[in-house]
Amino acid sequence: MRALPELFDVRIKARSIAYLFGAGALLGLLTLVFPHSPEVNDLALVLLASSAIVVAAVVWASGDHVRDWHIHAVLVSGVLIVSLANYYAGPTTLYPLLYMWASLYAFYFFRPIEAFAHMTVVGVSYAIVLSIQDPDSAIVRWLLAVGTPLLAGLLISSLLRRLSERAQQLETSEVRTRLVLDTAPDAFITLDRDGVILSWNAAADRLFGYPASEAIGRTMRALIVPPEFGERHDERRQALIVSDSPLAAESFEVEFVRRDGSRFPGEATVSKVDIRGQVFVSGFITDVTERVRREAEREALLREQAARAEAERVADLVSSLQALVDAALAHRTLDDILRELVTQVRGVLDADAATIYLADEGERLSVGASTPGEIAGGDEFADTVAQAREAMLSGDDPATEGGRLVGVPLLAEGEVTGVLVACGTPPRVFGGEDLTLLRLAAERVGLAIAHARVYEREHKIAETLQRSLLPDHLPTLPGLDVAARYLPAASEAEVGGDWYDVIPMAGGAVGLVMGDVAGKGLAGASMVGRLRSALRAYALEGHDGARVVEQLNRLLWTEAEDSQMATMLYVIVDPAANSVRWVNAGHPAPLMVVAGEPGFLEGAGSVPLGVLPFPTYEEVSAPMNPGSTLLLYTDGLVERPGENIDDGMAELAARVREAPEDPDALCDHLLATLVPAGGAMDDVAILTLRNLPVPERFTAEFPAEPESLAPMRSMLRRWLSHAGADEMEIAEITTACGEAATNAIEHGGASGGTSFEVSGSRNDREVELAVRDQGSWREERQGDHGRGLDLMRTLMDSVGVEPTDEGTVVSLRRRLGAGGGSA
Amino acid sequence: MEDLVQVEIEERDGDDVVVARLTGELDIAGAERTGLRIAEAVPSSARGVVVDMTDLEFIDSSGVSMLFALARRVSSRRQELRVVAPAGRPVARVLQIVEFERAAPVHADVNSAVAEIA
Repeated sequence: MRALPELFDVRIKARSIAYLFGAGALLGLLTLVFPHSPEVNDLALVLLASSAIVVAAVVWASGDHVRDWHIHAVLVSGVLIVSLANYYAGPTTLYPLLYMWASLYAFYFFRPIEAFAHMTVVGVSYAIVLSIQDPDSAIVRWLLAVGTPLLAGLLISSLLRRLSERAQQLETSEVRTRLVLDTAPDAFITLDRDGVILSWNAAADRLFGYPASEAIGRTMRALIVPPEFGERHDERRQALIVSDSPLAAESFEVEFVRRDGSRFPGEATVSKVDIRGQVFVSGFITDVTERVRREAEREALLREQAARAEAERVADLVSSLQALVDAALAHRTLDDILRELVTQVRGVLDADAATIYLADEGERLSVGASTPGEIAGGDEFADTVAQAREAMLSGDDPATEGGRLVGVPLLAEGEVTGVLVACGTPPRVFGGEDLTLLRLAAERVGLAIAHARVYEREHKIAETLQRSLLPDHLPTLPGLDVAARYLPAASEAEVGGDWYDVIPMAGGAVGLVMGDVAGKGLAGASMVGRLRSALRAYALEGHDGARVVEQLNRLLWTEAEDSQMATMLYVIVDPAANSVRWVNAGHPAPLMVVAGEPGFLEGAGSVPLGVLPFPTYEEVSAPMNPGSTLLLYTDGLVERPGENIDDGMAELAARVREAPEDPDALCDHLLATLVPAGGAMDDVAILTLRNLPVPERFTAEFPAEPESLAPMRSMLRRWLSHAGADEMEIAEITTACGEAATNAIEHGGASGGTSFEVSGSRNDREVELAVRDQGSWREERQGDHGRGLDLMRTLMDSVGVEPTDEGTVVSLRRRLGAGGGSA
Repeated sequence: MEDLVQVEIEERDGDDVVVARLTGELDIAGAERTGLRIAEAVPSSARGVVVDMTDLEFIDSSGVSMLFALARRVSSRRQELRVVAPAGRPVARVLQIVEFERAAPVHADVNSAVAEIA
């Protein structure tokens, strides 16, 4: 606390009362120096003055320790001293003056109520003194001595109070403002209209490095504004000053210079202050280095996030296309690739439609795939893109910046293999980003398509090669119905290793082969070819099944490269004996359908071919009655990714149970229900053979060629067997009928006939056969052919030759169980 | 289609006797070829030929004619023909009916046939 309030400080009070006492004492002593009435008791006065001086000295010396009540006590003691002095000195005007001073003092230093108390003490004391010394004029002198200081004291007191209050208010307000500005985190600077600094707070000191003492009086421009911004600083200040609004304020970011020369970005909020026509500019300046840095960091972060998102998007696109390419290389057909590509591209670009145009050898473009439909005007645009060999945009609406169509050439080894075009409806238009993405994608897509085309071609070659290893057509087997299917794996460029074969054998038996060579490609295919030929040779040599398979194993073991192996099933169906025999070299078990109920032919399973040098293969047999169906297949039919093969076989049995009996229909049904729509993962081969029910009577037509004889005999044996003929009867009747058929082929064929017909019927124990040809019967003659007729006549009970208009009918009759022919 | 009849040639006693083993079914489709195959397999130095039909499932008049022709050819070269066809089998029955014994002896087993020539 400074200035006015100091007047009311207790020390001031103490000193002033000390002065008062001192002055009073000196005054009293002074009166003794001048000539005075002898009535005056000098000694008393000297003692009183001395006591006043002592009090003054004590008060002075007490200094800071003086309390208010000390002052009051001293003041009262002073009044007593003055009253006693007055009493001893006699009536004089000098002492009322001292009373006045005491009164004024009371009013000066104490509140009015306390001052009044002192006035009372003074009044009473002086009244007593007057009543003793000068009873005549007592009232006038008393009123003068007490009234004057009372009025003056009241006046002084009132003035002082008001002064003190104002001072207090000012002090408080200034202190508060100072406090605010000095503790403010932001620099606060006030300038006059010329830019000279008028105020400079503590924060300004901290911020700029200049203490207020150095800053005040200099221009802001010279002190903290970078030279290049000086002009602007002045302009801005002038603009603010001349603005109409008395409270104009603005905020801006600008660079400042510190005392050490370093610069920093600051935010200044300045306002114009107009105080009675005097204009100032004041402003807060905040160091926004941190904020700017954070903003920069945030921006960098956002940019990085955006870049990462962009990179991820591109990576997503590339990876999805890459995945597509991988899929294409593995399994898919060109059509599948194209379809997936347009779908993918449409999704990635958020396009309405996407089309891939493929270039043919003449580089003419045609639609390869499109989703959901062809793009209007897409073909012309695709031509333009192919010509330019560069990704480009095309817009119907020039107002939009992007393009309605975006197109990219698909290049492979520098050749345009196609063009990818996508189309959007405004507001979806394509821009540079889409171009970039498509360029990235196009390279891979172009290669994928090129690969797919190559693979497609290779696949066709492979398929042709594979099919050439399979029988062109299945042999006609009397009494048996055979059907086969071969389905290459979907988009598998490798040559499949599946093969099957049907081998008619002596005695009417038929060999069925179903195999799967593990190796694919050309090596696999050539091995299939060798196994197939070898098996036919071994089988026709009359070896039993197990021996045939052992020989094949030997072939594979000794000759195959890279430890090639194969699974194989070799089945011999003997319809005459109504039996089936099989040897299984690691192949899925065949399925036999008896009375509509499928069952796997287990047993006889052994290792695949080519695994061991001398494995043991065993031939197992089972009855196979007319009406039964045998099904051979490769694992492609029952194996599905992620599925147990047992489930696949159970599924196969279920599908067979519901399938029609006819072998062709059975094959079709199995392919339709077991092979996925897009094609199987592996090759699928199916071979079915149905042992047809034997009828009471039959009619069969054969081509008029020697090769028809074996099937004819085979059929006949079966029929005879069913009719109850014993082994010798079957052989004899078959021989006789064979002679008739040979005649039919030789004579009928020579007469231009193309076929002959064999029919048979039985009546109780008698069988009757008829062989009809389309030629005329030659008269028998001695020699080879006469021998045929001899045989017939010997082997049968009766032989009739009947020429008709269409040809010749040879009838043969024989009673079974009669013990041989008539000869 | 593969031939129904298969021919395996084997030489016994050095190259003195040629054994032709027939399997499958012998009819007009394979008779002529089979005859040629056997004739070619018999060198002029051989004393004879044995046609082993033990495992032949079937023979018809074409096959029989081939055998007769073979017998004539062998005999013109002063060589011997023997056929093997165990009794009770369809082939033996046919040979019996056409009285093939008139052209060449029919044996029940290969070893006796070879022994006869030797």
